[in-house]
Amino acid sequence: MTNRISIGRRDALGLGLATGAASLAPRRLRAQEKEVKIAMLVPLSGPWARQGILEQMGARMAIDDVNNAGGIKALGGARLRLIEYDTGDSAEKAKDAAQRMIAQEPDLVGGFGCWLSTFTLAATEVTERAQLPWLTLSYSDLITGRGYKYIFQSSPTADSQAEELLPNVVELAEKATGKRPTKVAFIGDNSAAPVSFMKAIREHVLANTKLTSVADEVYTPPLADSTTMVQRIRAGRPDFVVFQSTNVPDDKLLVDKFAEMGLSGAKLPKVGGGGHWCVPELLKVAGAENLEGVLVGLANWPGKAVEDVSKRFVERTKEPWFGHDSVFAYAHVMILKEAVERAGAAERQKVAAGIRQLDMKNEGPALFFPDGTLKYDEKGRRVGAKLCIVQWQSGRPVPVHPESIAASKVSWPKVS
Amino acid sequence: MRQGASTRLRRDGIVLAAVSILYLAISAFVTNSYYQLILTLVPIWAVFGASWNILSGYGGQLSFGHASFFGIGAYTVTLALVYWNLTPWLGIPLGMLMGAIAAVIIGTPTFRLRGHYFALSMLAYPLAILYLLQYLGFQEMSLPMHRDHPIAYLEFTDQRLYTLVATLLLVAGILACMFVENSRFGLALLAIRQNELAAEAAGINARQWKMRALITSGIIAAAAGGLYACVLLVVTPDSVFGLLVSAQPVVVTLFGGVASVWGPVIGAAILVPLAESLNAQLGNIVPGIQGVVYGAAIIVIILAAPDGLYWTIRDRWLRGAMPALPPPLPAAAVPTRTYSEVTSMPLLQVGNLSRSFGGLRAVSQVSFAIQPREILGIIGPNGAGKTTLFNVLNGVLAADEGSALLAGEQMLGRKVYQVCRMGVGRTFQVVRSFPRLPLLDNVVVGAYGAGLPDRAAVAAAEHALHQVGMLQLATRQAGQLTNKQLRLMELARALAGQPRLLLLDETLAGLGRDECDEVLDVLATLRDEGMTIAIIEHTMHAMMRLADRFVVLDHGAVLATGLPRDVVEDRAVIEAYLGKKFLARQNA
Repeated sequence: MTNRISIGRRDALGLGLATGAASLAPRRLRAQEKEVKIAMLVPLSGPWARQGILEQMGARMAIDDVNNAGGIKALGGARLRLIEYDTGDSAEKAKDAAQRMIAQEPDLVGGFGCWLSTFTLAATEVTERAQLPWLTLSYSDLITGRGYKYIFQSSPTADSQAEELLPNVVELAEKATGKRPTKVAFIGDNSAAPVSFMKAIREHVLANTKLTSVADEVYTPPLADSTTMVQRIRAGRPDFVVFQSTNVPDDKLLVDKFAEMGLSGAKLPKVGGGGHWCVPELLKVAGAENLEGVLVGLANWPGKAVEDVSKRFVERTKEPWFGHDSVFAYAHVMILKEAVERAGAAERQKVAAGIRQLDMKNEGPALFFPDGTLKYDEKGRRVGAKLCIVQWQSGRPVPVHPESIAASKVSWPKVS
Repeated sequence: MRQGASTRLRRDGIVLAAVSILYLAISAFVTNSYYQLILTLVPIWAVFGASWNILSGYGGQLSFGHASFFGIGAYTVTLALVYWNLTPWLGIPLGMLMGAIAAVIIGTPTFRLRGHYFALSMLAYPLAILYLLQYLGFQEMSLPMHRDHPIAYLEFTDQRLYTLVATLLLVAGILACMFVENSRFGLALLAIRQNELAAEAAGINARQWKMRALITSGIIAAAAGGLYACVLLVVTPDSVFGLLVSAQPVVVTLFGGVASVWGPVIGAAILVPLAESLNAQLGNIVPGIQGVVYGAAIIVIILAAPDGLYWTIRDRWLRGAMPALPPPLPAAAVPTRTYSEVTSMPLLQVGNLSRSFGGLRAVSQVSFAIQPREILGIIGPNGAGKTTLFNVLNGVLAADEGSALLAGEQMLGRKVYQVCRMGVGRTFQVVRSFPRLPLLDNVVVGAYGAGLPDRAAVAAAEHALHQVGMLQLATRQAGQLTNKQLRLMELARALAGQPRLLLLDETLAGLGRDECDEVLDVLATLRDEGMTIAIIEHTMHAMMRLADRFVVLDHGAVLATGLPRDVVEDRAVIEAYLGKKFLARQNA
């Protein structure tokens, strides 16, 4: 995908028109000979729309890259086409949209989505029954815990992230300061992901990491006022605090409140989790100063291996960086393309088999994951999926862990 | 069953059979799984709307929190399937049982509240349950897939079967509603909706009927929720307990037509496909715009048809086409309530009755008696405590002290409907009618209130209409009656309960002189037939003609009693009515 074929706007328009004309031809014929359809079902409206749009940008760019590079070679250069659906703002709407997608697009070979675990759980009830291979970045363990055969989860699951985050953070802190933190405070909401995350933490991760919890605050989102919770955390004098919030407005309120109480990054290290902690909006609303030093554990972040794609993405979309949501979408399009190539047919069963057979290391789509591995186990979980950690440094999220993607050293204040 | 119920039931039954068969026939040809999903959702939301309609439409107890029952149904099915591997075929009935239990638990405290307070506290239940489920860790419950015996677990690969099950559920739900609408249940609820106090005064135990309505409603809503879980496959607290879920039955029912079995069906049949097709068509072009268009459509239609489509269409275009109800049957033998014969003592003996509101003694040490077959006029200036006296007598207000014996039996300390069942009928200053129901149904409420069985109730209502001279109007809608006819209708409603004492509160208010005379004739005839009447009235000339005796109240106390001629010449009475100056001028 690094060999870029330049294509003019006029040619692209011509291609577009050709595609349009092709769409008038009988559907079955078109699908088999000219076009391979994959679906993207993400929130394009409602509170999670921004994340969906970031996925959309990554996916559209990937589609263009595939088609500009000659389409799907195994199918005689068939073009890849992205069919976009909106999950809306609730599980039942997501499920309805999935049903609509399956009904209206009978020749889909695969798809990906829906960002929010709740939506993914609902939508995959439909895609599984339709035997449509489905890739997702959602974290919930439930998604691949139902014994389904057509769902592939590229992220480390929420449980494994819970296992990894604290030990990794403690290690990074020790590396940076030579001193091991011992006291931690938590503040998070009571939605599904934080609840399962905190369950693991409380049950054994704390003990295993030799950390003491000095405060454990839970709220119902959206957060209205965090003053009393932040006061209690301050009173516990933790070495660092872990946020388990799930949306940008709550993230902003939290970092603002800590700054207001004199606990900025230089005084109290903070650790957040999830893609929403690394979106440009957060920078806009919370400001670089309050975000400085915040560590974010998330499921993926583009590293040096895909620097070229990162650059082109920024040029193309005018977004400040190529992040978690976009890189997953880009990777998922590429994985589906790879699977179609291997299947040699635009049939969802064969494409699913193609995905199951994938076993790539440091090549092709595998490069879009920090561990450089592309292989799904029998549950559909990506083997070797590892937590990434990025840190807000001077108004940019910079990857600091694992080594393969680290672009900078972690900065950790030396607390007395 | 109510008068004319069999005709109505037959007609509605035929429509129901035709519509459901047509619906299933159409769904059999729909292979697109998405359209099939819409076809499944329409009956589910219609059932939910129908359940809301029983409590809030017929009963007028506005509930903004019906998601409680819907969600309880959904979660019962889901949790039973996940933890006990209990098939939804049994899970749904279990959910219905849970819905009934929830209705009792929710209704017991909440029916203490009325009006907006009731509506708002109902809203609180689903929200509380929502957070409780989140706390318990049931945020996302996925219904496990059964690859071996899918049908035994209500899992179908053919979407059409879901539509079949949903339609059958809808038919069951509508049959339940038809039964409610055509029985004393529905009429009692309508009476409560019109005026809970008047309904109680007509002998209806409002609390009991409201509770029955909530339980029925909860059971039906839970069934809808249970099936919804099976269709949705993933249940989250928001998707079954959320605010939008509570709003859904309100919206489909208000849209389609409140207090009609067809309202929720019409509402769901239009709104659900509309919302979905907007999602499908507009949502893919401008994500999110579908919600705006949907909201605007609801606003426009509610503005154009505020009672809901069903009633608007019926009132505007089908008035002439509605099949006329059969004329009332020849009056069957009227079963009369027998009371112990009272001859030697007064029928009503009131002694030292008092009632204060803070510092104001609205009724103070009032004593009087009413002899059998007597008309007692209770007069007095505004604010004299006349209506309060009636309210204390029939149990609306508690007395502070004193006694009121009806044929030797204590009336005080009983509930309104219990006083009614002792044989005390009451009318109110403001007439409460059910404008869309025929006159006979308006009157039969009183007979039901007295506890008469169906046929006897109809006979008693017809007899009462005959007594007030309106039997020939029995099938006319109450909304088309004149003011005088409405007054007589209310009198008939009180008579239908076959009381031995009538408490009439300003029955003549707002009537012209001729109309007044007609009503007076009716009352005089009633007395001649053996009725005992206490009447509050301002129109002095009418009272002079009618009453055998007067009790004059002023500032809550008895000022004078006696024959009309004597009382109106009593100086104290003239002073109370016309003031000291008038009296002085008279003497001058």
